[in-house]
Amino acid sequence: MNSIKHKGDSIILTQKKNKKEIIDSVVRLLFLITTILSASFIILIIIFISIKGIVPFVTDNNGIGRVDIITFLTGRVWLTGTAFQSNLYSVGFIIINTLYIAFLALMISMPIGVLTALFIAKVAPKKIAEFLRTVVELLASIPSIVYGLFGSGVILVFVYNLAEAFNIQSKGGNSVMATVLVLALMTLPTITAISEVSIRSVGKDIELGSLALGATKTQTNFKVILTSAKSGIFASAILGIGRALGEATAVSLVAGNAKSGPSLGIFDITSTLTSTMLEGLKETTGIDYDIRFSVGIILMIVILITNLILNFIKRKVGNVDVK
Amino acid sequence: MSNKQKIIDIFQQALTYLAASVGAITLFMIIFFVFSNGYKLLDFGLLVNDYHAKFYNGGIEDEISYSNTIRPNNLDDEVFYSQKWGIGLKDDNDREGNPIIIVDFIADDSPLKNIYDKNNEEYEPLLLETGHLLSKISFYDKQTALTKYGAEYMIEALNSSDTFREIVYSSLGGGIRGSIITTFYLIGMTMAIALPIGIFTAIYLNEFAPKNKITSLLRSLIETLTGVPSIIFGLMGLAVFVPLTIQMTEATSANIISGSLTLAVILLPVIIRSTEESLKIVPDSFRSASLALGANHTQTTFKVVLPSAFPGIMTGTLLAVGRVIGESAALIFAIGTAVKDDISIFGKSTTLSVHIWSLMKDEPANIELASTIAVIILMIVLLLNIIVKFISKKLIKDLY
Repeated sequence: MNSIKHKGDSIILTQKKNKKEIIDSVVRLLFLITTILSASFIILIIIFISIKGIVPFVTDNNGIGRVDIITFLTGRVWLTGTAFQSNLYSVGFIIINTLYIAFLALMISMPIGVLTALFIAKVAPKKIAEFLRTVVELLASIPSIVYGLFGSGVILVFVYNLAEAFNIQSKGGNSVMATVLVLALMTLPTITAISEVSIRSVGKDIELGSLALGATKTQTNFKVILTSAKSGIFASAILGIGRALGEATAVSLVAGNAKSGPSLGIFDITSTLTSTMLEGLKETTGIDYDIRFSVGIILMIVILITNLILNFIKRKVGNVDVK
Repeated sequence: MSNKQKIIDIFQQALTYLAASVGAITLFMIIFFVFSNGYKLLDFGLLVNDYHAKFYNGGIEDEISYSNTIRPNNLDDEVFYSQKWGIGLKDDNDREGNPIIIVDFIADDSPLKNIYDKNNEEYEPLLLETGHLLSKISFYDKQTALTKYGAEYMIEALNSSDTFREIVYSSLGGGIRGSIITTFYLIGMTMAIALPIGIFTAIYLNEFAPKNKITSLLRSLIETLTGVPSIIFGLMGLAVFVPLTIQMTEATSANIISGSLTLAVILLPVIIRSTEESLKIVPDSFRSASLALGANHTQTTFKVVLPSAFPGIMTGTLLAVGRVIGESAALIFAIGTAVKDDISIFGKSTTLSVHIWSLMKDEPANIELASTIAVIILMIVLLLNIIVKFISKKLIKDLY
């Protein structure tokens, strides 16, 4: 009697255990499925944008004619609108504009960002450092459309007046310079935050060593700490340029949407890959619609290549220990 | 130390101060600009009004019983009142700065309460209310009273007439009710999609996944999403989710569902990362204790690990909400830029951010209304960030 009862118990136990195991494996499978789903989106993005973006190059676009890929990549005029009904789209000058603007924006935001990071990490008193850290976090959290609004309300006016001072008639301030300034402001928090982390993680012994050799605090900060944090600072530049290349709405409000180029003068109107994508939204079919996906492919390739080059340089420059 | 070195030091030190002030000045300027341009229009009416004004053409019966209500004492001095018609009118400006005549008071026995719709075959009654804008009253025997002549003339013309041919009035447009509703819909639906997927993925990666090449491949595929610009997500929404929702629901164009699916993909890496970070700091002893007490892996995860990781998941969620409110580039493609008042999840509409973009792309740009919306967005986003900072500070304090 006793043993039977015992046996029954153990059956219940094993059943319970089995049930638990089944639940476990079901849940595990569910989690695995969601993980595979999350990971598949990047592949979905690449496949679908490529399929759509290739259409203008391989079909005759309802009689308009195939877009020639060489002209597309190297040309200097972007035709748009149904009025043109043409296959002569090209993004060559837009690629140059985009890289030029991103480069100039980084030329402004890198020094400011790195010096701000140095100030927060090494120079400022604790309270001010904490305050500035909050400021940087808040700047990073401001949506890009608000930067765009600020750009068209303040920076455009500033650029317009500046151009007038040089006797240049700018198109309401819409220009390379306005775009560069907006992007510099937008990349500033990213660069500052990442540089600050890398500056703070520089070994104390390196800093103390420099001080012991008789260098002043400022000399140490500029010559030793910044050099040692080079790799992290470079990483911040890579993230910054990624943001500058991919930013869309803010740029579209201040760029001026140039249809030919490249625009190298700082008061010329310009256009970037992203601002071009945001033009002519009314079309829902046809070449004007599909060509946006082609521009999207180009944008992804530009970002990828820029990242690869910068990462290559970063590896060459390396994380130098000061000897 | 040489004098020259001292000067160089001071100069370089000054440079860092200068650089650091740029960020602070920028933040201050942005907030100042947005508030100084936007505060004028910021009132409750803005939040509940439609964007598109509705126009009404009213006629009046032949037999009119005039009002006997004398001017109420609580009316402002600048209100012009007609006792005969029982109506008080006031000059004002609308959200674009154009002059308007607004109905400030209408008496219960006013004959203007008995007007009918001239555009309707059935002559259905119309309801003139306080807050409506009078744009035109045309008479049989004298010059038409238009907005540009002012409220005083309109009242005088009414007082000296026994009837009129037509009264044209409208509701006050330029409100952002539709965009606010869309934003809320979008937050709710996006979170409903992204949170479970994101949290489950983070749990799998942190609690279940074997350490092998496939796991690290999955991980790096997810991390790649972080570097993709949002406009590319927008293109994906246009190419994948818009056709998908058109096929599966009654939608005929880009819609709120396709918008929230797109946003969910953008938010996945954010939610996955913050959840994983918070799962990582749950001590292993919790897990072993729970397992040792006979709980299985599922129970341990849901009853022990997840509750301990809750504050981290919370901060991730709040940051994600901030991102939904601020996102513009992706949504321009994924739900369109048409400002709507009647919101359906199967139709186009705009969130607050995209509303700003539409206003700024109009000719001429409406910077004032755009700034007002930006004030709302900024207040929400900055508040969310401060809450997140507070939670994570408290979290760190509790742990150590």
